[in-house]
Amino acid sequence: MVGFSMQPYGIQAMLKEGHRHLSGLDEAVLKNIDACKQLSTITRTSLGPNGMNKMVINHLDKLFVTNDAATIVNELEVQHPAAKILVLAGKAQQEEIGDGANLTVSFAGELLQNAEELIRMGLHPSEIIIGYTKAINKAIEILEDLVEEGSESMNVRDKDDVISRMRSAVASKQFGQEDILCPLIAEACIQVCPKNPGNFNVDNVRVAKLLGGGLHDSVVVRGMVLKSDAVGTIKRMENAKVAVFVGGVDTTATETKGTVLIHNAEQLENYAKTEEAKVEEIIKAVADSGAKVIVSGAAVGEMALHFCERYKLMVLKISSKFELRRFCRTTGAVALLKLSQPNPDDLGYVDSVSVEEIGGARVTIVKNEQGGNSVSTVVLRGSTDSILDDLERAVDDGVNTYRAMCRDSRIVPGAAATEIELARRLKEFSFKETGLDQYAIAKFAESFEMIPKTLAENAGLNAIEIISSLYAEHASGNAKVGIHLEDGVCRDVSTMHIWDLHITKFFALKYAADAACTVLRVDQIIMAKPAGGPKRDAPAGMDED
Amino acid sequence: MSLKVLNPNAEVLNKSHALHMNINAAKGLQDVLKTNLGPKGTIKMLVGGAGDIKLTKDGNTLLKEMQIQSPTAIMIARTAVAQDDTSGDGTTSTVIFIGELMKQSERYIDEGMHPRVLVDGFEIAKRATLQFLEKFKTPVVMGDDPDKEILKMVARTALRTKLYEALADQLTDIVVNSVLCIRKSEEPIDLFMVEIMHMRHKFDVDTRLVEGLVLDHGSRHPDMKRRAENCYILTCNVSLEYEKSEINAGFFYSNAEQREAMVAAERRSVDERVQKIIDLKNKVCAGNDNNFVIINQKGIDPPSLDLLARAGIIALRRAKRRNMERLVLACGGEAVNSVDDLTPECLGWAGLVYEHVLGEEKYTFVENVKNPHSCTILIKGPNDHTIAQIKDAVRDGLRAVKNTIEDEAVVLGAGAFEVAARQYLVNEVKKTVQGRAQLGVEAFADALLAVPKILAENSGLDTQDVIIELTGEHDKGNVVGLNLHTGEPIDPQMEGIFDNYSVKRQIINSGPVIASQLLLVDEVIRAGRNMRKPN
Repeated sequence: MVGFSMQPYGIQAMLKEGHRHLSGLDEAVLKNIDACKQLSTITRTSLGPNGMNKMVINHLDKLFVTNDAATIVNELEVQHPAAKILVLAGKAQQEEIGDGANLTVSFAGELLQNAEELIRMGLHPSEIIIGYTKAINKAIEILEDLVEEGSESMNVRDKDDVISRMRSAVASKQFGQEDILCPLIAEACIQVCPKNPGNFNVDNVRVAKLLGGGLHDSVVVRGMVLKSDAVGTIKRMENAKVAVFVGGVDTTATETKGTVLIHNAEQLENYAKTEEAKVEEIIKAVADSGAKVIVSGAAVGEMALHFCERYKLMVLKISSKFELRRFCRTTGAVALLKLSQPNPDDLGYVDSVSVEEIGGARVTIVKNEQGGNSVSTVVLRGSTDSILDDLERAVDDGVNTYRAMCRDSRIVPGAAATEIELARRLKEFSFKETGLDQYAIAKFAESFEMIPKTLAENAGLNAIEIISSLYAEHASGNAKVGIHLEDGVCRDVSTMHIWDLHITKFFALKYAADAACTVLRVDQIIMAKPAGGPKRDAPAGMDED
Repeated sequence: MSLKVLNPNAEVLNKSHALHMNINAAKGLQDVLKTNLGPKGTIKMLVGGAGDIKLTKDGNTLLKEMQIQSPTAIMIARTAVAQDDTSGDGTTSTVIFIGELMKQSERYIDEGMHPRVLVDGFEIAKRATLQFLEKFKTPVVMGDDPDKEILKMVARTALRTKLYEALADQLTDIVVNSVLCIRKSEEPIDLFMVEIMHMRHKFDVDTRLVEGLVLDHGSRHPDMKRRAENCYILTCNVSLEYEKSEINAGFFYSNAEQREAMVAAERRSVDERVQKIIDLKNKVCAGNDNNFVIINQKGIDPPSLDLLARAGIIALRRAKRRNMERLVLACGGEAVNSVDDLTPECLGWAGLVYEHVLGEEKYTFVENVKNPHSCTILIKGPNDHTIAQIKDAVRDGLRAVKNTIEDEAVVLGAGAFEVAARQYLVNEVKKTVQGRAQLGVEAFADALLAVPKILAENSGLDTQDVIIELTGEHDKGNVVGLNLHTGEPIDPQMEGIFDNYSVKRQIINSGPVIASQLLLVDEVIRAGRNMRKPN
């Protein structure tokens, strides 16, 4: 403890021990920028189709091999408060759109890096913020302008249309495999797209990962794939009605504790018989209602199972509440709470339920072709868990892109064409400004160059050459010219079919600019002593999700 | 030392040491907070023990979150927090004012003045300033139909010191409208009737005012409607779930039939209650396609939910108690505690009820209500710290509007009051004071200038130039404030910069009191059981 009589002057003396206090331009602002720069250099190399994978091992010793920025920054457990703001921006983007997190983090990092140069030039952070705010507003305006004509209305049920919009998002995660993945994702999405596409629910497209085989073996199932076996011996059923019971298939029980009261041996014998009779009665009633498949949300009693077998009922157990709800949606069944005779209306219908063995695992495949907009499943095959995880993330991104395009189908040119055009037009805009903001706006414009530069660098091309030729093309009015990564030349994106969704870009840019401005606005950091708690290197428990 | 005789372990600071410790602490705290002041103040980032981030410009939040240890600083911080409790704003100003009073006093004390004399001067100056404030304030007539423009100006002034301009301007309307919405004539305003709800979604500028309620949970049954129009709302506090009896009861049965009967009997009383609600629904919804929504404070168990869902009723369980109050104010009807005598009169009404799902979280919106006396400010933001920042600001904004309505007066802002009061003290009051207390008045007057000075400093202006210009204008009889963009004097009335009367009054009242107390300390003693903590 600080000596009582020797109270030093200043804030440090007033705070509890272990506090850290950083303030001023050098100590706070520049350090923050530095931290954010470090973060964005990590994510940057993963940007785009040729981005590199990262191997991240989190505190639970789980291994991730991915180039999905959202996963990387999530598992990095960033400690630095300023860098955390960038991470949060990336997460917000992931939650809002489900794609473009890398763009958000990398672009925000680039903005801050350029802000640092401005600060060294002598500009005050508040002036930079004003400039950046002006620039982002202008950039959004320009972005509206770049929207491909005629793309406002699209048929979200047309596979080719969907694929063309989804391609770049999937390609940035799984380059070279987008031609296999996109049709699968598109098919799955279109199957479950409701009448009003705005209500598309990401949850309705499921992914089942099965080890073994290769990506080429992946298929789309209209219905569900449950990773469990059937309970009884009946493993296959076709054109069947389904009854769903949430509360389990077993004898009923009272909430209050019940005790069987038996006076003599006769009663003992009879008791078992009445139980049996009761269960049989109910199971028979279920069977009589026309149901051929029983789905239970909880335990299936031995005795009940016996009677189910006898009445040729197939029994499935789905213990997850949400999975059960999805099952109800797939089949159109109404979940009944207690085991009782179901109304004909409450029964669902499946085309087929069958247990199959795929790659050593038994799965139950529930198909319902007529179900309309219910649930569809993409069955992914791959040789290792990490490949499957990465494929799943690509599918997630694709599905999220589909949702985004259902809401707003406008597209802008991809392959860095949009970015270069934004950079070019913003620069022109900056020349018209008179105040100190013009420098900030110019830097903002310059930041856009990061994207083609990184794309080119990641593909092993000469970035400077590419950028200059892009600028040349754009200056001559070809606003749709982007990079062709395989050939290493500039080409019109409409010939390459690389389009990005306007809405993804819009949110990514906005979140990035917001995060950058927030970091710049901070001029003092007061850090409390890190709280105690379990040490990070010790296993932190079972809370893996 | 006499104390050392009594307790050899005690630590003592005496005379000038004690005084200087206090002065240093006050100045130190002022240094920390002064960059926050005003619309051009900067943001502080607070990192909690668990690594959580908080961004703030609000003095009150900062004082609460910083773990201050120095005893003097704690005293000042408490005063500032009390300031926030009574008036909702002005914490930073309080700390700065106290710090400045101490700083001014230091000068005089170093020249050999006795603190007591200064304190006497403070007292006189305080009384004079309060009188001056009464004259200076701009009365506002509130009546039944308050002047919205003036309320907006006050709210804007308060919000701009907490958030950036564009967002502050947007929130201004929201805040003013929400207070006017819950205001009932002849009754004090209860700000709790404005529900502040947040969603992690979209951008901060998507924050909006919902005339009605937003509940942070959804219906628990998959078959209930997600969206319903023209709804009757039943607000109730009735348990619709099976409850175990208090005594330890058990059932005895000897065959399965008996058990089935018991299972049925067990649920009967709950089912009866549910049935009564369904009957009411059938009564009011017969022959039209209106909907029926139950919002229950207690639980509803799955079998009851199932029954309600089959009857086409939307049911929400475990609503917050406060929301029950708000619901009745927003939708009308009354909250019922029993289903025995349900009548259609108990029901409220909402034009639209819908559920919004965000990831794992569900929200239920009750909108388009008739004649609401409760409303919700729905804060949106991409991340938690943005939301927290807006939340704090909204709370302060609400308080500012409420204060204005209650004070029926406002004070010109932008430093105009401080400069005017200082000129009044120096030019008029000082001459009427006898003896050395004059110096106390002078110190007080100079301390008042701290606020405009720091405002100027935070905007990157030259403080001396600004003060000279402002006092010059005031001597000519013009009441002017400071234009933070140019450093020129402006008329706050024209620009619409108004502060709360009660905030200013509280600052003038509490600042000198605490400063006097600190000045009059001549010994600081630390003795007691805990002082020997291991280092």
